Amino acid sequence: MSSTPLINPSPLETGLRAAFAARSQTSEAQAAAFERFQKHGFPNRRVEGWKWSDFNAALRRLQPANDRAGAVAIAPSDFAGLNPIEIRIVDGRIIVPGNDAVEGIEYGIIDPVGASPHMDDHAIAALNVAMTRKALGIRVLQGVELVRPVLIRHINSGSTPVFSQTLARAEEESRLTIIESFEGAGAYYSTLFHLGVREGAQVERYLLQNAGAEMITHAFCGVMMSRSAKFKQTSLSTGGALCRHETHMLYPSDGSESRIASASLLSDERHSDFTTIVGHQGEECTTRQLHKGVVRDRGRNIFQGKFLVERTAQKTDAKMTANALLLSDMAEANHKPELEIYADDVECAHGSTSGALDDDALFYLRQRGLDEHCARALLIEAFVGEVIDGIPDDGVRNIFGARVNQWLEAV
Amino acid sequence: MLKIEDLHVAVDGAEILKGLTLEVPAGEVHAIMGPNGSGKSTLSHTIAGRDAYEVLSGGVTLDGDNLLALDPNERAAKGLFLSFQHPIEIPGVQTMNFIRTAMNAQRKARSEEEISAADFLKSIRAKAKLVGLNDAKIKRPFNVGFSGGEKKRMEMLQLVMFEPRFAIMDETDSGLDIDALKMVGDVVNELRDPSRGFLVITHYQRLLDYIKPDAVHVLADGRIVKSGGPELAAELERSGYDQFIEAA
Repeated sequence: MSSTPLINPSPLETGLRAAFAARSQTSEAQAAAFERFQKHGFPNRRVEGWKWSDFNAALRRLQPANDRAGAVAIAPSDFAGLNPIEIRIVDGRIIVPGNDAVEGIEYGIIDPVGASPHMDDHAIAALNVAMTRKALGIRVLQGVELVRPVLIRHINSGSTPVFSQTLARAEEESRLTIIESFEGAGAYYSTLFHLGVREGAQVERYLLQNAGAEMITHAFCGVMMSRSAKFKQTSLSTGGALCRHETHMLYPSDGSESRIASASLLSDERHSDFTTIVGHQGEECTTRQLHKGVVRDRGRNIFQGKFLVERTAQKTDAKMTANALLLSDMAEANHKPELEIYADDVECAHGSTSGALDDDALFYLRQRGLDEHCARALLIEAFVGEVIDGIPDDGVRNIFGARVNQWLEAV
Repeated sequence: MLKIEDLHVAVDGAEILKGLTLEVPAGEVHAIMGPNGSGKSTLSHTIAGRDAYEVLSGGVTLDGDNLLALDPNERAAKGLFLSFQHPIEIPGVQTMNFIRTAMNAQRKARSEEEISAADFLKSIRAKAKLVGLNDAKIKRPFNVGFSGGEKKRMEMLQLVMFEPRFAIMDETDSGLDIDALKMVGDVVNELRDPSRGFLVITHYQRLLDYIKPDAVHVLADGRIVKSGGPELAAELERSGYDQFIEAA
């Protein structure tokens, strides 16, 4: 069992230590992972990469309790119209549809992951590895172009920390659309998603962060791309007390392509953090990344994007853009775009902007007859539009667009 | 129709309009000419209701309605249209959707029925052709990637779509070639009507070769310093504005 003591542990950390010690079945990998977590504890703002998202401070305000709601009332999903294969993870419990066997895909409950190449020294990911008992496994078979999307609904209640894992693989030349929605209310939710996109496979992943204002979420996603694999990810977040979506991509082979797009719509004191690292190793890989943040009241938008281009990754073509729209004096946007390039024959660029709504544009729209609210909403919708319009799936695009409009109407 | 009385306007604390008085009766086209910095754009933006323009004193009414008491969108709903000197681009908003949204917002403010999708489509297609914009252009994001001339055509498209009671054309002729100038003239002449008024703001006489004004006013240092018939435009073209700058 672990021996490293946590320095000045929070009530949550102490509770987790007791919970882990009381567990009867833990693997060696889990013990090692808990040890790694204990070495660092939850990251605080003094740790590079976490200065704008201080999990330690946020979680210190949480008291471990065991008030998980017995039965959670679950409304139909916004995505129900897309006829998805709907899998629910309710307070960490995985519920897969029973009589819903679809040809070309296997899914079920499997053993959790032991470690991953994406998460050396990542305390929150290590804690997830230590604490998660069972994982959701998804595999799309070789050459299968799955028409129905897989929908994973992360639904939380109560104030007990919850951990979950999904391990997915799209085999050679297959196609998979996977949607994850974060719903409900709760305390601390940590999820780990590992995805393998095999040679010539194409995966679209959509994330809709739509949980309550009190939610502290950490969603870690590691994607391993094989030769000529394609990956498109679009995320829309309305934030939470502290809400961080990490995407760690790795291109060990040649010819991989990704589009990573994200948008945050933040009001009140909601906080959203999109952090990504794309490791280019193979040749002729392409990455397009776009982030748009709309922040009002005392919202905080965090974007950290890093392209690592190793010496072997010649002819990499990678572009990153992050724009923030600040709608109040107290709104905050912190962007950190980074390029770390060791190859000499590459095309890489990044750009970051932040600003208020354009007065000229507002006046123009009002002169055409739109009242102030409509004019502002139209400009905000247009600002976020680049992320939404780039969604290849019509059904998902409409649902994301409707969510943007719903947010605009409410503020 | 449009009545401006002893209008004083400041921008960033500096007085730009210093007692401007002007009346454009229904059915007439009046031109305002003047050198750079004389207050032409301040006048158009003040009439349309831009925040940054502070009205110190004076009044602006349209058919008796006090425009200065209204928000810019309320003025638009009353039938006031400004063709912008520098139209904006709106990436992410399709042109047809934008124009329809704006038309319906104005109609709603006037308690009129919304225009149906079919009627709108029929109307905008025909009118786009009239101003020299093809179907592809009106399906694109509003003004994105358009040349200066195309943006002015888009202003004219909105003019013919909205059919306002009173239109201000703020240097619509700047950056236009001869064909486009002629198109602007055709559009305005087509819309001339006993119940509609126009205020055409320009540096040069050339637009007035296509739109025959009923009156021409010279604006210098924030005041109308001379008014006359169309012949005044030709005179200005010959002798320049210097005499008025000195007089002001």
